[in-house]
Amino acid sequence: MKFMSVSENKGENTAEGRVYELGYLLAPTIKEEEVPAVYGNLKELILSLGGEVISDEMPRMMSLAYTMVKVVTNVRNKFNTAYFGWVKFYMKPEKVLELKAKLDLDPEFVRFLITKTVKENTIAAKRFVRDDMSHRKAPAAKKDKDAGPAPEINKEEIDKEIDAMVAV
Amino acid sequence: MKQDYFSVNNIKYIDYKDVEILKKFLNPNGRIVSHKRTGLTAKNQRALAMAVKHARFLGLLPFVAK
Repeated sequence: MKFMSVSENKGENTAEGRVYELGYLLAPTIKEEEVPAVYGNLKELILSLGGEVISDEMPRMMSLAYTMVKVVTNVRNKFNTAYFGWVKFYMKPEKVLELKAKLDLDPEFVRFLITKTVKENTIAAKRFVRDDMSHRKAPAAKKDKDAGPAPEINKEEIDKEIDAMVAV
Repeated sequence: MKQDYFSVNNIKYIDYKDVEILKKFLNPNGRIVSHKRTGLTAKNQRALAMAVKHARFLGLLPFVAK
């Protein structure tokens, strides 16, 4: 029943509109110094459409999991790297379509994804990874304990074997 | 994983950007692990599938890995 509240949050409609998230990839052809400018323009675009930024992350260079292709002015461009960034914002549903239409025409964006989300921070803290690590190690530790008494038995067997060898 | 990973860790919204968590639910080929093996609730398994697909679209995860 815990999860019911989440689905209610997803459909959250306030005066400012709904919570959306825009994840995007900027073309690697943009120079490092010019990235903040592009990022600033994007924020302005959101504000101009009556949006309100909740949280965001600066675009940073990353290698893509696969090669992406985008045709800009009849030229097929291949990308193996891109600047990945995201913005979370409030916006009215009808304005989001306008935002999408504008981004579609922008040659600086390799790809983008607009999703409905919740206003809370959705990236889990790192401790979850650690919890899982300890969980994974636990069975291995048990094995060691099981292995503890085993050598003693082996020693006796070895002694017997040695005696047998000596006897021969 | 016997218990639902997301309920255990109190993760209410499965985020496509959280690649480290999503990777736990991919096999070496980059395919989504079945709910039988993940032990997730049906709802979370669906949300996971959606998150993985979003991450693939933005190049955070591969569609196929060697």
